[in-house]
Amino acid sequence: MCGVSTVIATVVLFGVAAGSTAACDGHGESCGCEDPDVTLRCMIADASPGDTILVPPGAYHGPIVIDKPLTLIGVDRPTLRGGSGDILEINAANVTISGFLLAATGDSLERENCAVRVNAGSAVIEDNILYDVLFGIDLKNAAGSVIARNYIGGKDLDIARRGDGIRLYRSDAATIEGNVLEDGRDAILWYSTGVVVRENTSRRCRYGFHLMFSGDVTIEGNDLQENSVGVYIMYSKGLTIRENLLAKNRGPSGYGLGLKESDDYTISRNTMTANRVGVYVDGSPFTVEGPADFTGNLLACNDVGMTMLPSVKGNRVHGNSFIDNAEQVAVAGRGELIDNDFDVEKRGNYWSDYGGYDADGDGIGEAEFESRKLFENLTDHRPELRLFRYGPVHEAIEFVARAVPAVRPEPKFVDWYPMTTPPPSGAAVASLSARGPTVRTGLALTAVAALIAGLAFASSPIASSLRRAASGARRLAFRAGGES
Amino acid sequence: MSTICNTRGLGVTMARASACRPPSVASTFLRLTIADLRQALLARWFVLYTAAFVTLGLGISYVSAMAAGSTGLDGFGRTSAGLINLVILIVPLMALTAGASAIAPQRERGSLAYLLVQPVSRGEVLGARFVGLSLAMVASIALGFGLSGLILSLKGGAADPGSLVRLASLAVVLAMAMVAPGIAISVMTRRSSVASGIAVFVWLALVFGSDLGLMAAAGAMHLRAQELFYAGLASPLQVFKMWALCGTDATLDILGPAGLYATDTFGARLPWLFSGAMAAWIVLPLAAAWVIFTRRSQ
Repeated sequence: MCGVSTVIATVVLFGVAAGSTAACDGHGESCGCEDPDVTLRCMIADASPGDTILVPPGAYHGPIVIDKPLTLIGVDRPTLRGGSGDILEINAANVTISGFLLAATGDSLERENCAVRVNAGSAVIEDNILYDVLFGIDLKNAAGSVIARNYIGGKDLDIARRGDGIRLYRSDAATIEGNVLEDGRDAILWYSTGVVVRENTSRRCRYGFHLMFSGDVTIEGNDLQENSVGVYIMYSKGLTIRENLLAKNRGPSGYGLGLKESDDYTISRNTMTANRVGVYVDGSPFTVEGPADFTGNLLACNDVGMTMLPSVKGNRVHGNSFIDNAEQVAVAGRGELIDNDFDVEKRGNYWSDYGGYDADGDGIGEAEFESRKLFENLTDHRPELRLFRYGPVHEAIEFVARAVPAVRPEPKFVDWYPMTTPPPSGAAVASLSARGPTVRTGLALTAVAALIAGLAFASSPIASSLRRAASGARRLAFRAGGES
Repeated sequence: MSTICNTRGLGVTMARASACRPPSVASTFLRLTIADLRQALLARWFVLYTAAFVTLGLGISYVSAMAAGSTGLDGFGRTSAGLINLVILIVPLMALTAGASAIAPQRERGSLAYLLVQPVSRGEVLGARFVGLSLAMVASIALGFGLSGLILSLKGGAADPGSLVRLASLAVVLAMAMVAPGIAISVMTRRSSVASGIAVFVWLALVFGSDLGLMAAAGAMHLRAQELFYAGLASPLQVFKMWALCGTDATLDILGPAGLYATDTFGARLPWLFSGAMAAWIVLPLAAAWVIFTRRSQ
């Protein structure tokens, strides 16, 4: 079927059954209606800048190059296949790609096989499905581009051989919104400023979002789970990170949020839960410019709520909830965190292991919260001793440390105004809360106990009565036998 | 009996035959087991330990349910960690002392001699002791976890029903791995007070000694993470803890580098490794007990 359907400027040729090669005629080469690949390239070649091309359903093969401002809209999700190489390359500004299925790029990391390669600004890549791709959408010098509502599924490869689902290189003022990334390496921003990253979802990637040397980036409302690291910020500044859900990030690094040598950040109302480390702070803030605020975050049920390197200073951690982290705040190595504030303007954080009370009802405990646990102190120095966590020795050591002040370590930090109720948290946690055991489970276990006790005590009368009954029967049988 | 069996008439012999045979091996074993179970459940120490186990379990569940109420979140946090600690402390003590009182007191009183002249083999006596005591432990653990589960469900606390059952089952495995050495102790000692003393000493050594010793060794000898992990496998308490932790998300990385090593090296085979270690703690002491018990004059 030769379904060439083009909208060229205002001329509509949609669903023409035959003889619709007219659009290609002027170009001087055969449009080959039999071959959809030739047809598509022909349509692109013949279109004028600013045209919209409705690509009919079907399967096409890459690489397809677009070198003028065009809008390509897939009708009923046509498939663009890459095979062993790339799929789509955009070399002109103002190109829109929407509604396609882009399947299977090559897997060469050397050539960086990519589904959509953008080398010009203001591209719009939206509502596509990218599947089995090495690199997904690769923006280079593509300022003002929009990547929205795409699904990007990586290749089933070892993490070291995967590519980035989304990569921005020197692409300022881009918007990345509503995408779903799975099984890729990173979604990474290199040297890009003014980028907005909003409401994306990421699963089983290396880094959910990774910033390198970028600035003025807003990361909000994303749902990044089961990656190695949720958000990893390196050498960047001017960051607003809010209302993200960073959960179950337990790969080799295993941070919900990592900050390395970055500046000027406000991290608020995020939920970090069930990560190996909720927040990891290394050399941040790097200089002293701008705020370094952590506020209103919920850090719950992580192995470690917040890890800071000993040299870190100048962070303001206040109004957060630290709930049931195996270790609430850790120092990686020797040292204290006294150069960071854990309370600001007489408001500290909520700590689930705080033992104080609130006498005057202002929501602030009357005694300070000190983090000075001997076992934590030991494991901060010698992490392999974490093997003994949750054992009786762990408890015994803490008990001794409380009872014998001589062996009690110096406090890692002090929160002078700990909150006695957790502040309301940002991102939704309903999906993460565990189920309560059913009454049935409790009853069943109790019934097992009762059954065994019954077996022990009821059996003897039963057995003896059975024996009695048996011997009675025997006697009857004997008598019957004797009489006959 | 013999007169009954020598009656004529083939029509009724089938029904009589079963009644006339000496009790079968299975039913003897069952009867012995139930008698041992009854004896264990009635032992003063056992009742006290069970009461302590249940009370503490209820306390832990109640407190953690209250605390989790504020957010509805409870990771591995309070409930399970508390219950694991409780199991590690009390279950081995219960199982070891119960095992230690399996043979020695009866030998001291002389009732063992009476039992052994009955038509039962020594292996049966030993096996019945083990099964009976294990069943008693199952009852105690099921009661503790069952009531804890009820408290949790009534207070709306957070703990997966599956994980509660799983933890209870692992506690039973640990109990069996402690009943067996207890029986071995009981067989080896002549006096019951000595047997109980050794049992408590072994408990103390396992609960505190092995962990503290390993920690000290790790510091002094600079044990690497993997050496620490393998050393930990030697202690059934440590194995129980790792097994219980490994269940919640199938990784052990909460235990730091040693746990990471275990996860990376063994992965899905970890439960097999743990069950192997536990099986060794059950089979080897029982075998030793059997050898000694059958060789001895009494």
